[in-house]
Amino acid sequence: MQSASARPRAYLLLLPAAILLIVFMAVPYLNIFVISFRNPGQGTPYADGYTLLNYTRIFTSTLYQGQLFNTLWIGLVTTFITLVIGLPVAFQLGRADLRWRGLAYGIVLSPLLVGIVIRSYGWTILLGNNGVINRTLINLGVIEFPLPLMYNSLGIIIALVHVFLPFMILPIMSAVQSIDPALVSAARSLGAGRVTVIRRILLPLAMPGIQAGCILVFVLSLSAYVTPAMIGGLRVKTMAVTVVDALLDTFQWPLGAALALVLSAIGALIVVIFARATRMRWKVQ
Amino acid sequence: MTKVSITKLTKNYGPGIRAVDSISLDIPSGEFVSLLGPSGCGKTTTLKMLAGFESVTSGGIAFDGQDVVSVPPEKRDIGMVFQNYALFPHMTVRGNLAFGLEMRKVPKADMDRRIQATLDLVQLTPYADRYPRQLSGGQQQRVAIGRALVIEPRILLLDEPLANLDAKLREEMRVFIRDLQRRVGITTVYVTHDQAEAMTMSDRVVVMFGGKIAQQGRPGDIYDYPVSRAVAGFVGQVNLIDGKIVGVDSGIARVDTPFGPAEVKAGHRTEGDPVTLVLRPEAIDILPADAAGGVTASVVASYFSGAILDYTLALQDGQTVDVKTIARQRFEPGAQVRLAVDAHRFWPLEVG
Repeated sequence: MQSASARPRAYLLLLPAAILLIVFMAVPYLNIFVISFRNPGQGTPYADGYTLLNYTRIFTSTLYQGQLFNTLWIGLVTTFITLVIGLPVAFQLGRADLRWRGLAYGIVLSPLLVGIVIRSYGWTILLGNNGVINRTLINLGVIEFPLPLMYNSLGIIIALVHVFLPFMILPIMSAVQSIDPALVSAARSLGAGRVTVIRRILLPLAMPGIQAGCILVFVLSLSAYVTPAMIGGLRVKTMAVTVVDALLDTFQWPLGAALALVLSAIGALIVVIFARATRMRWKVQ
Repeated sequence: MTKVSITKLTKNYGPGIRAVDSISLDIPSGEFVSLLGPSGCGKTTTLKMLAGFESVTSGGIAFDGQDVVSVPPEKRDIGMVFQNYALFPHMTVRGNLAFGLEMRKVPKADMDRRIQATLDLVQLTPYADRYPRQLSGGQQQRVAIGRALVIEPRILLLDEPLANLDAKLREEMRVFIRDLQRRVGITTVYVTHDQAEAMTMSDRVVVMFGGKIAQQGRPGDIYDYPVSRAVAGFVGQVNLIDGKIVGVDSGIARVDTPFGPAEVKAGHRTEGDPVTLVLRPEAIDILPADAAGGVTASVVASYFSGAILDYTLALQDGQTVDVKTIARQRFEPGAQVRLAVDAHRFWPLEVG
């Protein structure tokens, strides 16, 4: 129990984080929000005066809507695939009796040890029409023409799954590690077989980790830039790529800001809906 | 009701590490048996083998004559209570109780009736819709017991269930569990390192050391007639007095002790044999220095704990003895007293 007089001083510890958040998160977001209502400029990032034009452009343009939809789709599919691949791995790594924990940890973290540009470049070598995968398959006579693995959503998803897998595995693994092994014994003593133990005990108790992993991978996929830019090329553009184009190439800051905000808003909405749907009543005070 | 037979049960953890060493034990239907011993004596391993969580190296376990060694825990029909309760944190009290019944595909109406009956039994009806972390330690403990009993298992296994409770609650729960077990009449195996717990609750106490059964019997018999120094010391405080047999007459041996002559059963011993006698601290009476009878001693230290006074006293030959009395008359350290012991209160150890 803390005494009441100790409380204000304890809150002081939050000050550095609060300053960091306000200066480097809230202020830029506010700035973006204001810019998104600016008039487009001629040779300048934006002109004087305010308008809703940037938003009406987004909501009337099939191009932007398509990109938005595609970005969300890539995010959802990437999340789903990393969950399917990561869940069994995380459950194994979370076991108390695991040997070689250090090695397994290293393998899981390995995608993060190489810079994202190099890693994405590596995927272009593998996925291209003249890439390792297509070459091998053609040489083996499995296919006649190269499979379209690059410059499409499939290639982006493959690369994103690889990059973001650790962000799915680690939170689930730590949730599984925190489950008391006696719960499994208790369930078995009550008549539960192995599958029932997983379904009724381990999965629900790993839910906080699953939730965290899904949200992490989803938002990271939505905001990913380097990988979609390198693998999607000019053919498939995700929202993040289009936003950067608007800011740097075509110099339309107000449009770029509006696109970024719409993506953030929709992403946040999906995260909130997901979090509410997977809310754990037993965790709520 | 189920009778449990354990025959030459052995558990090795790798070569040379024998946790349980060929123990045999028959538990009649409805009996409450405690496995008592220090940590590492094999009591928990034995319980885990009964539950099916630990594989058996050799030997047999049978429920009602039917071998269960190769039966997995989920098919053994046991109720188990764990040391840390192991309640499912994501289920309410009702959900925890329902789990085992759902596994058995009990019809809904029947299930509701049995859950309600069990809630009443463990006095948790007002808490049925709470989650485990919203309950106190004692309440969680009762959920754990209810969850084990609601499935009406063949045997009830308890692994040091009171170890995490505070002293007062622990005593309440002893009585609660014992009453419940009597009412339900279920065959029960209870693992503990707490001799008082084993004594108050059990029909039979099995004392284990080093993977073997050192002694088994009714609590009173284990206490009064221990076979070895280790058992005598583990089940309560003890004074061990070394003496020599000075005469044997019709099965009764006379032993000279610092308290005067003792009379114990002779068994195979003959005159001149050395013998170690057990003398419980409460078997010794402390009398004022001017009383008649007894031997002279001086108070070295006294420990007051409410109803009971524990004394350490020095005899004239320098030997110290422990005495336990009700705290009606008190002697200060340094006081001269006289100690009197009935000649029949001594018990000879089988092994030194």
